Amino acid sequence: MIEMTLYGRGGQGGVTLAKLIASAWFARGKHAQAFGVYAAERSGAPIQAYVRVDDAEITNHNQIRKPDHVIVLDPTLIGGTILSGASIDGWIILNTPQQVRAWDAFSGRRIAAIDATAIAIRHGLGTRTTPIVNTTMMGAIARAFGFSLDEVRRLLNEYGYGGANLDAAREAFDSVEIVKLDGEPLIVKSTRPPAPISSLLDPDTGKPPAIRTGSWATRRPQRRTLTPPCNANCPAGNDVQRFLDEAARGDYDRALAVLLETSPLPGVCGRVCPAPCMISCNRHALDEGVNVRDIERFVADHANWPDPVTPWRRERAAIVGSGPAGISAAYHLARSGWHVALFESSDELGGVLRHGIPDYRLPKDVLDRELGFVLMHGVNAYVDSYINAPAVDALADAYDAVFVATGLQSSRSIDIANATQGIEFLDRVHRHDVVLTGQRVIVAGGGNTAVDAARSALRLGAASVRILYRRTRAEMPAIREEIDAALEEGVVLDELALPERFDAGRLQCIRVILGEPDSSGRRRPIPEPSSRFTIDCDQLILALGQEADRSIAGNANVFFGGDFATSDGTVAAAIGSGRRAAEVITHRFAPTERARIATTDDLHLNLFEHEPRHHALAVPPDLRRHNFLEVHAGIEDASAEARRCLSCGVCNRCDRCRDHCPDGILTRSGDEYRFDYDYCKGCGVCASECPRGVVVMEEI
Amino acid sequence: MSTIIADEPLLRPGNTNCAGCGMSIGLQWLDEAFADHRPYLVIPAACAIVTAGAFPTTAYGVPTLASTFASASAYATGVSVVAELNGDPHPTVCWAGDGGTYDIGVASLSAAAERNEDILYICYDNEIYGNTGGQRSSATPEGAMTSTTPRGKAEWKKDMVAIMAAHRIPYAATLSVAHRDDFLRKLRVARETRGFRFLLMLSPCPIGWKSSSDESIELIDLAVRCGLFPLYEVHDGERYTINSRPDGTDLREYLARQRRYAGTSLDPEVARVKIEKQWEFLEVMARLSS
Amino acid sequence: MTLTLCTGNYAAGHTLALAGEANRAARGCCGGAYPITPQTEIIEYLRAVAFTKGRVVPVESEHSAMGVCIGASIAGARAFTASSSNGLAYMTENVFAAGYYRLPIVMIAVNRTLGPPWNIWVDQGDSLALRDAPWLQFYCDSHQDLVDTIAVAFRVAEDLRVLLPVMVAMDGFITSHTNMVVDLLDQERMDDYLPLCNVPHQLRHSHPTTVGNLTWPRETERHRRDIQEAMERVPRVLDEAIGEFEAVFGRRVAGAIEAEETGDAETILIASSTMAATLRHVIRARRARGERIGMIRIKQFRPFPRADLVRAIGNAKRVGVLDRNHSPGSGGIFWSEVAASLRDASVLLQNYIAGIGGGDVTPETIDAIADDLTRRTAATDPVWQEIAV
Repeated sequence: MIEMTLYGRGGQGGVTLAKLIASAWFARGKHAQAFGVYAAERSGAPIQAYVRVDDAEITNHNQIRKPDHVIVLDPTLIGGTILSGASIDGWIILNTPQQVRAWDAFSGRRIAAIDATAIAIRHGLGTRTTPIVNTTMMGAIARAFGFSLDEVRRLLNEYGYGGANLDAAREAFDSVEIVKLDGEPLIVKSTRPPAPISSLLDPDTGKPPAIRTGSWATRRPQRRTLTPPCNANCPAGNDVQRFLDEAARGDYDRALAVLLETSPLPGVCGRVCPAPCMISCNRHALDEGVNVRDIERFVADHANWPDPVTPWRRERAAIVGSGPAGISAAYHLARSGWHVALFESSDELGGVLRHGIPDYRLPKDVLDRELGFVLMHGVNAYVDSYINAPAVDALADAYDAVFVATGLQSSRSIDIANATQGIEFLDRVHRHDVVLTGQRVIVAGGGNTAVDAARSALRLGAASVRILYRRTRAEMPAIREEIDAALEEGVVLDELALPERFDAGRLQCIRVILGEPDSSGRRRPIPEPSSRFTIDCDQLILALGQEADRSIAGNANVFFGGDFATSDGTVAAAIGSGRRAAEVITHRFAPTERARIATTDDLHLNLFEHEPRHHALAVPPDLRRHNFLEVHAGIEDASAEARRCLSCGVCNRCDRCRDHCPDGILTRSGDEYRFDYDYCKGCGVCASECPRGVVVMEEI
Repeated sequence: MSTIIADEPLLRPGNTNCAGCGMSIGLQWLDEAFADHRPYLVIPAACAIVTAGAFPTTAYGVPTLASTFASASAYATGVSVVAELNGDPHPTVCWAGDGGTYDIGVASLSAAAERNEDILYICYDNEIYGNTGGQRSSATPEGAMTSTTPRGKAEWKKDMVAIMAAHRIPYAATLSVAHRDDFLRKLRVARETRGFRFLLMLSPCPIGWKSSSDESIELIDLAVRCGLFPLYEVHDGERYTINSRPDGTDLREYLARQRRYAGTSLDPEVARVKIEKQWEFLEVMARLSS
Repeated sequence: MTLTLCTGNYAAGHTLALAGEANRAARGCCGGAYPITPQTEIIEYLRAVAFTKGRVVPVESEHSAMGVCIGASIAGARAFTASSSNGLAYMTENVFAAGYYRLPIVMIAVNRTLGPPWNIWVDQGDSLALRDAPWLQFYCDSHQDLVDTIAVAFRVAEDLRVLLPVMVAMDGFITSHTNMVVDLLDQERMDDYLPLCNVPHQLRHSHPTTVGNLTWPRETERHRRDIQEAMERVPRVLDEAIGEFEAVFGRRVAGAIEAEETGDAETILIASSTMAATLRHVIRARRARGERIGMIRIKQFRPFPRADLVRAIGNAKRVGVLDRNHSPGSGGIFWSEVAASLRDASVLLQNYIAGIGGGDVTPETIDAIADDLTRRTAATDPVWQEIAV
């Protein structure tokens, strides 16, 4: 008589496997018996099944205590206890992903090993979380016991286990690893149950169960943090997710504090930033991206600004240029305790923020508020102070560090007479030095300066305003919403055209077609000679882009930043540049490894309710085009809009994971979550219920 | 008079419920809603009593009485009456599967409801006799394959809430593990109501439904959203409140995730019509109640 | 002692009510009640009682009636109910549960024939069908025996050495619906006699337990042995209970068996319930005619009083057992238990099936049985004693 014991977990098909084994021998004319031990066989709970085979009729119905062979269906059950009563000459047949090696407990024994779980999953047997390994194991078992593949095929077909089951069995048959381990076999006696037996009337019954159900798990939940795309894409380096989190909670003061860690100009950015954070926002996949810009604006306008600190170190820095990069550098250096002197060539601080962005986009009281905050950190500012190259060298001797952020001082031009430069035009607008009543104005260019010039011209009484752009609207670098606003106000866009000659109230233009991409990656405009045309024009403004004045050279303690260094062209990038310069100067710069960016695949969008974006109110075009009052009024309920943030890849303690754990083994204490792996069954509900991809299941 | 063991969970870790069991989630939320009102549990033959594990240990952290299959409501009546006679504030809660509620237990349930016993009866309905390997019950939905309906059950699911409402009990409601706030609110309403209260929870069963354990909650969400499992409350058998309306999700999405519906003869179109008819009834009752 | 003329049902209801009320200073009393002929007057009586701390719940079936008793008892209250015939059969599952749960529930079994075909008259098959349940069983032969035994039943059931439920049986109609003179006990002395009910494994929040979860073979074996050991302690506890009853009420209640004229008897007839009362007349008459004949009334069927029985049978050479019950394929049930008790193969033991389905067993019937028994040379298969009606 041959006796064998199968160890498995509920749901893996162990009892069926016992029957298959018995049937294999039955097919060869033997008597056979197969049965399972029935108890509380929940899916995942350890179970045993038995097989007896004999030439004579089998009359023994007891459980097997001294098996000739042992079969283990679940890798987590492999251990010394399965040898209990096992004959030293028999087979140990294991489902395991590991190579057969010198397992101490199995020394001296014959082992057959196969990764039945992987094979079963590959052939789609069972569910993802509970693969059924029995037919796969049958292949390996058959090989060990000397059955042919033909016999296996016939056996499985008889039970209707063809198709994937047969393929899996065949694969196991072919690839099972068979080896006899060296050494002396360990003899493990059959275990006897413990002595005391409880009674219904015993006073001390009712204690907790002794089973550590963590041993059932084949996967384990882990927590991770990914980088939200907004954070990854913010040129200023703001922790967007974190400030939104605070705003969502209604704590605008804390939200402002988060912003002020990286940027001193939230009110400015909250008005003029092109918001790459919003463009990259994953919420677009659900309904609309979060209106980060208006939340930043709201926070800057309504929260309580903290008290500034005053310098406490002996180091001194000089900053040339009071545009956003310079302001940012001054702020961060002053916060680090340095004495800062800020030099500005024009008569007012602010750079492009003051002179280049019209009031209807950026009211100057907002700029003054944030400039004032920076200055209150003990920064000394000097206007009307033009610093040329020799002056920079002098500063470099007098100060511990110099940061040059003079922006883009020269405007690109084309050879065309009677035209005004856009930047100069905007400066004069700022000084209330322009009247355009009744004039027909044409602006050449596609960036923010061009759009600002056009919209300003309209407000200054122009009879008509057109933007002439050498590519199409889609390629215009200006902020899309600004283009839309301009068109709403009545600015006309003329695409695919270049100005050629301007005089006597007429502008001669030429149409272009777009050819191969140029060095900027955009398609190159190619003039079409036959397509010249003229339009009436009283004023031509060129806004074709700016360049840095490269006359200033470097030095050991001279640093360069902002548009002067990078030509990035955004306020946010300038802010980031100024901060990094301050970090380098104060020796606190350390490049950080960032976790990968969270994509929509990491999220469970089905767990979020649709909710439309809160849009800022805007003054209607026909009213606003007549003045320079601020067009946008911001949003009413920043907290509600901030709550739309999905917090991609970053835990915001929504507790969904904890609330849905069926076994209550996930607990939170303060901000810390803890999985009790002793009891976690690996069901995966926590991972499925985490909306933002923080909890994920990993194979054990 | 009562001593509350505040830190003892109602369902202890180390219980032998399957990974992803909907009933486990229900017990966690029962624990939460009854944190300060520790119940006596009466559990008939069901997966829930196997949950306790083997004597002399138990996975239940509250006093629990195993009843014979048909008798949960009767045993609970005894417990509840004696508690009331003795001013014992601990509530009596029946925690029963669909077999012990819809079928063999329906007589004692109906009687206890008719007598308006002060019992909270919660049925966790996994739509099969789960404990015995997954045979059909009268709670099994039309089209579902079970071990005794291999080609899909022909009959429609019995409407247990309607039956309970017909007894004019103070409170009856359906519960969804995908709608936690609603679930907890209803448990609290039940907790504060006296007399017979009946709650029906659609309980995802990865083994019985042949679904993946990590999809348990999502499945119930689909069932609610496609209208198959309405979320509503009935006060005193006549005032209906609808908590969530179907949002146009296709029934087929729900069916596709469970292998118990693979190869079934259920016609989703026919099912959709039946679902719509039920919703017509609910809407009428809700309007009459407002 | 105050004598009243009333039916057995009335007397039973009255006594149960006294016992229930006696627990008002503890967890009170509670039971489930479902009507069935010939028991209905018991539950009607109980439903009309205004307990200080108690409630009788009108349920939808006997199965639930016992269910309510189980819930009430494990909650610590004194629990009781009554049933009969098919009601007992319907209740079977919960009858076993009550015993396995070691709950001191008292149930009045008004013996009536099992059906269908329907038969409302007396037959012991209904309570005896439950003989393998862990319950004590007493069969009463009179209204007084019934009243006194009910009180004793609570005392024995709730004794911590026993903690098993007790069935107290009476003959349907013959006892239940017949008016007889009886001393109904009073509340004051019942309060004296019965200690407050204390169920040690009561459900408690101070120490939460689960009662009835999955139990392995070894623990189950221990559980069943515990029950048997409790049964083995019953004779001693019963003796104490009877002694205490006598001290309070001034009357000696019959114990497990009542033997009469067995000392020198050559022939002994054994019966139970009211048939034993009829048997008593016959025995006395035949004794008066000089026959050495005696009788034994078996009152306590579970635990079966083997030792008492063997002692009472003594040297008698012929023993007849009268059974108003029958186990098909075997014979009378009391007879089979007696047979298992008697190791002496030289005793001629004969079974007489009499009164099945409610037949009127008269003194003449029993005389005929006694004649048959005394003339026999050997025992045969159970004899069906034909009844005139």
